[in-house]
Amino acid sequence: MNNNAVLEARNVTKMFPGVIALNEVNIAFEPGTIHCVVGENGAGKSTLIKCLTGVHIPDSGEVFIEGQKATRQNKLFTKVAYVPQELDLFSHMSAAENLFIPYERSGLKGFISRKHLREKADVILNKFNIGVYPDTLVRDISVSQQQLLQIARATVFEGYEVLLLDEPTTSLTQEDTERLFETIKQLKEENKAIVFISHKLEEVFRIGDFTTVFRNGQKVADSKLSGVDVPWIIKQMTGRTLDDNELFASEKVTDEIILEVENLNGERFRNISFKLKKGEILGFSGLIGAGRSELMQGIFGSVPTASGSIRFDGHPWKKGSPCYSIEKGMFYLPEERRSQGILPNLSVKSNATISRLKELLVNGFISREREERCVNDIIKKYDIKTPTSNREIKFLSGGNQQKVIIGRFMSCGPKLLIFDEPTKGIDVGTKNQIYKLMKQIAEEGVAIILISSEMNEVQKCSNRIITMYNGRITGEYPRNTDSHELLHSIFGLTGGNHE
Amino acid sequence: MNDNKPLHIVKALFRNNTVVVSVVLFVFCVIATIFSRYFLTLFNLQALMRDIAFISMIAVGQSLLLLLGELDLSVGAVASLCGILTGLMMTKGGIAAGLAIVFGIVIGLGMGALNGLIISKFRLNAMVATIGMQGVYTGTTLVITRGKAVANIPESILFLGKGALAEIPNPFLVSLAVVTIAALFVSKTRRGRYIYAIGNSRSAAEILGIRVDRIRILTFSIVGMLSSIAGILYVARLGSAQANIGTTWPMNSIAASVIGGVLLTGGVGNPVGAYIGAAILMVISNVIVLLGVNIYWQQAVSGFVVVVAIALPSMVNIMRENKRIRSIN
Repeated sequence: MNNNAVLEARNVTKMFPGVIALNEVNIAFEPGTIHCVVGENGAGKSTLIKCLTGVHIPDSGEVFIEGQKATRQNKLFTKVAYVPQELDLFSHMSAAENLFIPYERSGLKGFISRKHLREKADVILNKFNIGVYPDTLVRDISVSQQQLLQIARATVFEGYEVLLLDEPTTSLTQEDTERLFETIKQLKEENKAIVFISHKLEEVFRIGDFTTVFRNGQKVADSKLSGVDVPWIIKQMTGRTLDDNELFASEKVTDEIILEVENLNGERFRNISFKLKKGEILGFSGLIGAGRSELMQGIFGSVPTASGSIRFDGHPWKKGSPCYSIEKGMFYLPEERRSQGILPNLSVKSNATISRLKELLVNGFISREREERCVNDIIKKYDIKTPTSNREIKFLSGGNQQKVIIGRFMSCGPKLLIFDEPTKGIDVGTKNQIYKLMKQIAEEGVAIILISSEMNEVQKCSNRIITMYNGRITGEYPRNTDSHELLHSIFGLTGGNHE
Repeated sequence: MNDNKPLHIVKALFRNNTVVVSVVLFVFCVIATIFSRYFLTLFNLQALMRDIAFISMIAVGQSLLLLLGELDLSVGAVASLCGILTGLMMTKGGIAAGLAIVFGIVIGLGMGALNGLIISKFRLNAMVATIGMQGVYTGTTLVITRGKAVANIPESILFLGKGALAEIPNPFLVSLAVVTIAALFVSKTRRGRYIYAIGNSRSAAEILGIRVDRIRILTFSIVGMLSSIAGILYVARLGSAQANIGTTWPMNSIAASVIGGVLLTGGVGNPVGAYIGAAILMVISNVIVLLGVNIYWQQAVSGFVVVVAIALPSMVNIMRENKRIRSIN
């Protein structure tokens, strides 16, 4: 029990059929404190949030807000502002409208004056340094700005005392992350309680005062952040110590060139030339919006290219056709896993086998037996956690979804896999599994391109690193380049392409 | 996991939407039997099966499009135009009846392909585009017939609409064949799987190298073909080709699909569900007639029952959810 706490969970237990999502959890959040909640996926963070915001009613235990027991009836949950991880703004409405909808909650009654709305919005947009006009439509602003706007929106209702931020920085650039942190600090000064949930531990240490670690639905540790370090947190999170310096670069790089890109131009990239060898992991590092994804989609064929040449596996390349690319053994694993990677309502089985149905045919019909065998091989080989292969894939964790996608393409005998932010929204423990998989795949002779905005990830996994800034290649580095030099290049501070 | 195995199996069955819809159909039939002693007569059941045959073929086609995330509102217009053209070929054209039917089906397929082509190549919204095409097809029918029915359809083909095998009407047998083939198509063939993939996420399907436009055109073609088969069978049933065939089919086929558990957002459901959904719809209108509901009230009553029919599965879901939450306590 904590008399200072503005939001407190006491002995909260929440069960779902077959799992205990939260087990006797006690946690308290104090005003003027930035409290970081960390844990692997499935550790119970989301369920905790849902209990704290009144979405779930705990099976036992209670939630107290400002010392009173919170129920759905007494409206205390309105004091907890929550910013979800995903963007959910109205894209065809203006920034100002997005801030104040629903108007009743924002205290705007009767006819809404645009002028009044604009003035009110201006104050908030400035406070959060968002850099958009109140009248700009949300669809016209960057993802970063949308994320900031979403956070700003949560604070519009002035009655809030607690701000829950769920992975607020996943789609933010470094710069915007800085801006966000400034604003969070400002809110801390205003004596709000901030709950910060993140997989990025460096950020936790940069901004947090206090941390609570969850594992398997239980609170396993809490501490002031000033007294602990990253290895300690990882140890608590996983129950084992992970060597952060473990390297996942391929050890079987061949001399055989599989992909050769020369002077490739497109809408978002200019004069791109590079080579890739079989068995190599080539990292592409850069800021969000540097044109890395667009470049790769251009090579893969889902985005048009203007000029330049590509040779793949010793042959000239037909540009602009994903079907052709896949036939030739080039696969793209998109960053937007949930909207472009998985087929959400289909089973794990259908998701895993969709790319190689041709080989499962017997007399022109998909053979149940072969399909079963194919998916079971994938589940086993990639250690996918699912109750049955008939489970809809949307119910799996992000890491397991990613493994299904990897298994899907690996069963097609690929020559090149393009991973676009493969560990986005995936917890630390599973991240390492994905890295190991990439290493293993590369060592089987497959070439890998890895796009990642986490510099640490690119450094850990790549044999070679290419940096991009503003649509151009700004440098190429061997694997053991230090972060400082890479950062310079990522921010476009060095010029030219040195090979 | 569960000690009570039979109960467990029953529970698992009820999670299967097709089973739930079948049970709903059965319940409707039981209710119908209780309220009207005419329901279970051979004459009524044959009439009912004929009604089911036509709308269910269209519903099966429509469900394929809904799975893809598209729909076709021109199905009725295609049916009547194909019926008219086939009738004309047989009567005025002097083409052998069997051959005329084949031509008619091919023409329907072509109209469907045209719908698909326009929608995918010009990137149009399927709903608006097929409303337009519906006008084009209906208009053509009116121009050709000037509003008059094409009579004197050859006796030799009337068995297709009027005949029966072992008391089961021929159109119903055709519809059973259609739904069986459709069920095999979606679950056992590559293109069938691709329909689900596209309906789930078009951009994911594109990245998977699925030729999305081809599948869309193919599916629209299938629907055009099914519409024309239904239209021609209807002509054989009536003994004359009329311009007003199939006016209720577009909406009813969508309603039947939704009752059968096909989501309008695409990617979820199956043609068997749509077929049973169509049967439920037809049982409802059959019972209303049997009960002697005032003719002016029939439409309102049938609409109301349809809303109840789609609300039922949704209510079952809500109850299931509530029960799950309560069972945790």
